Amino acid sequence: MATDTAADPAAAPAAASAADSAADRASGPPADTGTSRLLRPYAGGLAGVVVLHVLGAVAGLAPLIAVAETGRELLAPGPPDADRVWAAVAFGAVGLLVRLVLTSAASGAAHVLDGRVQLTLRRALAARLGRAPVAALSRRRTGELAKVVGDGVSAVHPFIAHTPGELATSFAVPLVSLVYLFTVDWRLTLVTLAPVALAVALVPLLTTPARRRVEEEFETAMGRISDAVLEFVRGIAVVKAFGGAGRSHRAFRTAVERFVASFLRMVRGLAPVGAAMQLALSPPVVLGTVLAGGAFLIARGGMEPADLPPFLLLGLGLTAPVAALGHGFDDMLAARRAIGRIREVLAEPPLPEPARPRTPRGHRVELRGVRFGYGDGREVLRGVDLVLEPGTVTAVVGPSGGGKSTLVRLLPRFFDPTAGSVRLGGVDLRDIAAPDLSAAVSFVFQEVFLLRAPVADNIALAVPDADRDDVVRAARRARIHDRILRLPDGYDTVLGDGIRLSAGEEQRIALARALLADTPVLVLDEATAFADPETERAVRRALAPRGDRTLLVIAHRPETVADADTVVVLEDGTVVSGAHTPEESR
Amino acid sequence: MIRLLLRVLGAEYSRPVRRTIALMTAAALLEGLSYALLVPVLRALLSGAPADAVPWLAAFAGAVAVFASLRYAADLSGFLTGGALLRGMYHRLGDHLTRLPVGWFGGGRAGEVSVLAGTGVLQAMGVIAHQLAPLVTATVTPLATIAVVLAFDWRLGLAALAAVPAVAAAQYLSGRASAAADAARADTEREAADRTIEYIRAQPVLRAGGRSRERFGLLDDALQGLQRASRRSALAALPGVLGLAFTVQAAFTAMLVLGAHLALGGTIDAAELLCILVLATRCTDPVLSLAHAGGALRAARGELERLDAVLRAAPLPEPSDPVRPDRHDLAFEGVTFRRGDRTVLDGVDLSVPDGGRLAIVGPSGAGKSTLLQSLARFHDVDAGSVRVGGVDVRSIGTDDLMARIAVVFQDVYLFDDTIEENVRLGRPDADGDAVLEAARAARLDEVVARLPDGWATNVGEGGALLSGGERQRVSIARALLKDAPIVLLDEVTSALDPGNEAAVHAGIERLSAGRTVVLVTHRMPTAMHADRIAFLDGGRVVEAGTHDELLRLGGRYAGFWRAAAVPAEHG
Repeated sequence: MATDTAADPAAAPAAASAADSAADRASGPPADTGTSRLLRPYAGGLAGVVVLHVLGAVAGLAPLIAVAETGRELLAPGPPDADRVWAAVAFGAVGLLVRLVLTSAASGAAHVLDGRVQLTLRRALAARLGRAPVAALSRRRTGELAKVVGDGVSAVHPFIAHTPGELATSFAVPLVSLVYLFTVDWRLTLVTLAPVALAVALVPLLTTPARRRVEEEFETAMGRISDAVLEFVRGIAVVKAFGGAGRSHRAFRTAVERFVASFLRMVRGLAPVGAAMQLALSPPVVLGTVLAGGAFLIARGGMEPADLPPFLLLGLGLTAPVAALGHGFDDMLAARRAIGRIREVLAEPPLPEPARPRTPRGHRVELRGVRFGYGDGREVLRGVDLVLEPGTVTAVVGPSGGGKSTLVRLLPRFFDPTAGSVRLGGVDLRDIAAPDLSAAVSFVFQEVFLLRAPVADNIALAVPDADRDDVVRAARRARIHDRILRLPDGYDTVLGDGIRLSAGEEQRIALARALLADTPVLVLDEATAFADPETERAVRRALAPRGDRTLLVIAHRPETVADADTVVVLEDGTVVSGAHTPEESR
Repeated sequence: MIRLLLRVLGAEYSRPVRRTIALMTAAALLEGLSYALLVPVLRALLSGAPADAVPWLAAFAGAVAVFASLRYAADLSGFLTGGALLRGMYHRLGDHLTRLPVGWFGGGRAGEVSVLAGTGVLQAMGVIAHQLAPLVTATVTPLATIAVVLAFDWRLGLAALAAVPAVAAAQYLSGRASAAADAARADTEREAADRTIEYIRAQPVLRAGGRSRERFGLLDDALQGLQRASRRSALAALPGVLGLAFTVQAAFTAMLVLGAHLALGGTIDAAELLCILVLATRCTDPVLSLAHAGGALRAARGELERLDAVLRAAPLPEPSDPVRPDRHDLAFEGVTFRRGDRTVLDGVDLSVPDGGRLAIVGPSGAGKSTLLQSLARFHDVDAGSVRVGGVDVRSIGTDDLMARIAVVFQDVYLFDDTIEENVRLGRPDADGDAVLEAARAARLDEVVARLPDGWATNVGEGGALLSGGERQRVSIARALLKDAPIVLLDEVTSALDPGNEAAVHAGIERLSAGRTVVLVTHRMPTAMHADRIAFLDGGRVVEAGTHDELLRLGGRYAGFWRAAAVPAEHG
């Protein structure tokens, strides 16, 4: 915020480069970035908006010229020519009307265009997120990513709706004015430009590396405040329970003090120069300069007095480029940052899709030499070999941090192994088309994802064409049917809007979902799937062997382990005992 | 607006704010009035007597110098006041948050408040630092200029003056229309944000259904709704902006026509007319910028209102004359608690003798955790009372009450700090040995041995580096270190793998010894050892007694026991 007024005119160089990139985007965007490809269809519309804006603003000069010409007529010796005066007045009035029509058309069109651009960007982002590896969508990043789709895209608004038109205008109008003023008196034109030159000369003082550093410091300090509050608020229960309020509060206060100090440092550094620039461009100073210059030229340079009014009327407009650049600078910077973040998300590598998908034969699951790390240098799985035969139950046990959760999440392809392969029916998961894989593997994990949609839709999420009977059957098997009937609208109750289910009930809905999907492979994290005894019973019944279903479960209960065909002990990312290796089972 | 600002800030800031506004007004007024000096200057120059203009020009230069210093003082005052306000605002927010009941922070509030603290406060403070000056200039300078015009020629002055009410009306109407459209837009933005989060979080299931390939209907509807709403809000603002522009331009045209008529009739001097028209053009630009300033102010106003709402949330009342209980038996007497229109606890009567152990079991959603939390005053009950040592918890000082209670939650929040510091939170002044001892008792040393930097390992934000069970051990060590006479355990053993479960159980046994314990659990083996078990359903105690009594009763508890415990025995 502090950059706004104090550094207004300071913004010129950086904003000018931003303007360049805006121009790039409008004319011929580089083909390599996702955003420019998305924006290209709108380039024509954007150019039209800019043209309307410029024409409207230039028409706005007409009344000023009309005043100047009226003055010339009235000041001329002899009685004024009434017809010429009224012609000038009419010229001015028409100019104003044209300006009104063109600028409002431009503004309306720009906003409509802006809405379309935002929808396009949001859809593109959603599509990309729909293809990112699940590991890239961790809980912590959800907020960030959603912010890019929401606020991030909104921040592009000035870039589309305001900046191009305003920038073009703030250069075109002074240019036209300059041409006119030069024809009136070139010497006074130069004098009129003096305050602008002074302001521009001050710009380097505002963009020294030291100042940049102060500004960066300010941004960092601002980020720290948000972090401190977030920590403070998230840990509030702990803080209250353990009297840690002092500590957390202190961290927050420290962040605040640093922030305020850096804010004041920045303001103190910028204020004198910024104020000097603003003053140089202020109407009283510009008018004073023109009048002083005019007085001198009339007295000594033989300038006609009637040539003075045009400068008083149009001279102030010459400061527009510097002022306008500063004005839009914050928005521009925000828009550029937002576009940067949008690009980052669009550049996320999607989970690769097979070019020529293969169809698995059968449902035997094979893991060979599977390694995996979350990219933080630590390997979670370090060479796992495992075979899940159709119709068997495999229980995974082992100490926490041993890699159990990671292992089971490879089957629904939340992520791909960094080395080795996971095969279903003899085909590497990476070669199976996504719909085929999801028809084969379902899962019940700790994280239950319920949509703000009717219960029935939530259960039928994986099988959108399931009929109500199927949904009810699955709900009964998951022991959630009775609870659903107690909801205000039964199966049509929209979850979320004031309707809260308990953790166990949510897990049973997830279970119903998996049961309805009825895939040949089911993956389940038992340790976290029990919210209460009732849920536990439902899960255990669902686990009962059924035909040739392959079951992989992170086992928690001794009886699951006892009933399993195979028990795999996973420790430090390797199978330490109990597994059938692919070789053994052959 | 200013009144709202001052309320959010507290009255002590009203003086610097008023001083800043006064300086801004003085600068703007001087700017407008100084234009009066231009008339004699121009009259001299246009009549071909430049020498006559010199004293007037000098006077104008003097006025500009005064204007410049006033303006600089106003800017500086704006920034400094903005800085002071910023500090004051943050402190107020921070202090207030510590006094709010823990229950207030549920359901997305964490995110909301941190956004508010990050950008919201800044935007609200921006009113003083940035938006006030242009607004004051855009209203005061044109008014002062019109006064100057009136002084020189009342006919042209009246024409200009006629525009004032029209401008005010246009500004008011456009503000109202935009505010309504903005509110509608804020709703659709929230909807779109919710749907986006849902879409991202539900990716695994959506993919399972092959639904992420197509456009996900719920999200796409929200995104399209957002487009429509933003178009509507842009269009709603248009008539106001157009009306303002039209009014200003019509007034200027009227002055032009009137001036031409008067000049041709010889009733006004050409130099004077030119000067007045120059001044009129000086009025139009600032007035047109009012539309923009109005939008920025509305946005800031929204943030201020959100801040105001947080600051107005009622803090937990502190007793004026706190009572210190001298024992630690616990009692719930007719405890009723409502959340919205749902009754979570419905007349609960229970008691625990000093040193006794009460287990609360029941289906999820029965109100177990809420009951437990009412002891630590995470929220105050709506009816009945919760007593510690016979004293209502509301009559005990918060710090005193919290000093007597150690809580272990199901979800453990760890601060982004070392394990050691996270344990030390239990008793900040504990020495190293005491911390180590508590950690060992919670079998945290096993976890530490595995970590790259041992005790000094940073656990990451929220404790992301540790598993659920490991975080639980930190939490138990914290509670052990705190050594409080009352221990509250909330579903502590519910989501643990066998390795952690044994360690956590051992830790809990240590923690419970010789203390008054209330535990919420659905693990029957954990419950059965309690002195007394209460079965909660629908916010009511439906059964209470010892394990054996309840089994003999053959009711809900016995059913739970059969469902959960029997198979465990065969394993």
